[in-house]
Amino acid sequence: MLTDREVLATFEMLKNEHLDVRTVTLGISLLDCVSDDLERFKGNIQNKIQRLARDLVAACDEVGARFGIPVVNKRVAVSPIAVAGCCFKASQMVEVARTLDHAAREIGIDFIGGFTALVEKGFTEGDRALIDAIPESLATTERVCASVNVASTHAGINMDAVSLMGLTMKQAAGLSSNADGIACAKLCVFANIPQDIPFMAGAYLGVGEPDAVINVGVSGPGVVKKAIDRARAVNARMDLGQLSEVIKHTAFKVTRVGELIGRQVAQNLAVPFGVVDVSLAPTPNVGDSVGEIFQSLGLKSIGVPGSTAVLALINDAVKKGGAFASSYVGGLSGAFIPVSEDLNIAEAARGGILTLAKLEALTSVCSVGLDMVALPGDVSADTLAAIIADEMAIGVINKKTTATRLIPVPGKKAGERAFFGGLLGEATIMPVPNDDASGEFISLGGRIPAPIQSLIN
Amino acid sequence: MKKVVISVLGHDRPGIVAAVSQTLLENRCNIEDVSQTILQTEFAGIFIAGTDENCQLEDLRIRLAAKLNPMGLSVLMKEVEEGKPAISGSAEPFVITTLGPDRLGLVAGITEVLLRFGVNITNLKAVFRGGEDPRRNVMIYEVDVPSETNHQDLREALQGRAQELSLDISVQHRDIFEAIHRI
Repeated sequence: MLTDREVLATFEMLKNEHLDVRTVTLGISLLDCVSDDLERFKGNIQNKIQRLARDLVAACDEVGARFGIPVVNKRVAVSPIAVAGCCFKASQMVEVARTLDHAAREIGIDFIGGFTALVEKGFTEGDRALIDAIPESLATTERVCASVNVASTHAGINMDAVSLMGLTMKQAAGLSSNADGIACAKLCVFANIPQDIPFMAGAYLGVGEPDAVINVGVSGPGVVKKAIDRARAVNARMDLGQLSEVIKHTAFKVTRVGELIGRQVAQNLAVPFGVVDVSLAPTPNVGDSVGEIFQSLGLKSIGVPGSTAVLALINDAVKKGGAFASSYVGGLSGAFIPVSEDLNIAEAARGGILTLAKLEALTSVCSVGLDMVALPGDVSADTLAAIIADEMAIGVINKKTTATRLIPVPGKKAGERAFFGGLLGEATIMPVPNDDASGEFISLGGRIPAPIQSLIN
Repeated sequence: MKKVVISVLGHDRPGIVAAVSQTLLENRCNIEDVSQTILQTEFAGIFIAGTDENCQLEDLRIRLAAKLNPMGLSVLMKEVEEGKPAISGSAEPFVITTLGPDRLGLVAGITEVLLRFGVNITNLKAVFRGGEDPRRNVMIYEVDVPSETNHQDLREALQGRAQELSLDISVQHRDIFEAIHRI
């Protein structure tokens, strides 16, 4: 028999705290679709996605309805296209992107990830073709997400790739100038990219993964914030050690729910279950914000002094709770701080409380990086590359994943607003001080060597 | 061996279960299941017991009444029917919770919908203390839902009814509670 306390606590989580499963992502290997004939390759991709994923949305909805926990997003992540389609030219890569877009539309999902290249140590022909194809692919498709891994702790930072990504972003923004450069909102540049991320835009299926696999992203930050608020209302003298315990317990609960739902969907689709990604992923809705957690823990806003310490506490507590709840935790697993996708963070950026410099500092302790940051449209490609390089260095040295999703908004200046719509939200454009001061450094190119793994201070 | 089910109802006091079990022991009846609860000041208990083969059920009934009636308790006894389960076929366990201000017809309103979908209540706890605090006016139904049920329809019907009754309602698979609260 259940206790009243258990029943009512769960009732609260559902009713008032947005307890849900944020994303169920079906990974599909495209390595058996390979052909040097473009039409055959596209046909194989279309058929395989259709065959494995056509019931994904229905299965998630059915499990969601049965368990009373909504699965908010259903997505597909495929093998890195630069690997699977290594022999194709850039113009052909664009056609592959359109095939992915079409397949995603047919099965009724909002995003498909895996238009991806892994170039931390160098480029293949396919990698170059894919990166060259990114601007047009993202500007002319709706649902395709691209990612490029340019750095790793084992390989160092491929600065030629970093430089190329600065240019690529400028081109992608330019080709989607009528929509505030939205193509860049679907493009992540990574250090240490995990092979099993369920969250977009970074999701792809690593080459070490099975033929098909279900990975799950857990519920958002609303649950954590409410748990902190409730605990502090009951005991105003709670200290940070006790509050991190509250976050840990909450992360445990949402992870258990995520795994339960993910395993059910996997079972229904006869696909193995992969990992739970215990990230706190906000949405542009009130009460579903990572930024609000900073306020619940006593800061006036995210971005003020103390923010990095608070984020470190949140991130660590979430990981501890999640790791205890499930044996298979993976993906990014930490707190996201995407500026435009989080109302509270967007507001802190608008008010100038959260600056690019502070945001960069925060990323040294959180799970992703400079995420959904709108920048002036006239920022130079070299400065973009230099910002990417800084972010990659944080990831490489700290043996963690970092990424950038930067949007140079065409025709707009710092302080103006950019609108991306839907889950991508809107943001005030942040100023970039000292633009055009990093060009010479970026032009040097080459690869920054992998860091020493001892002497770690 | 016959089985009997005995229900006992009356104002709560120490010694009720002792009196029932003593009588059953004297008649060589073996208790298999007991559940008792107290609502406000009233005791209700239900006992299932296996009887000795020589046991005369009418005699047992008379002895129970003789023991319990003087204590102000009413007692009802009948033979357990071996028969089909409440739901034929498979079912899944769910928990339905409602919070909201007290008014006439809340339990009747929700259970009418459950009946319509062939849902069987396995455990029900409802507390209505009045006032505006929703936590003082709660219904928790543990139910078995036949496997072939369309969950979307059931959910919509319950939500519609809850809205008419000004209740907040949640319908959850029991596994969710197990996953969240138990290690």
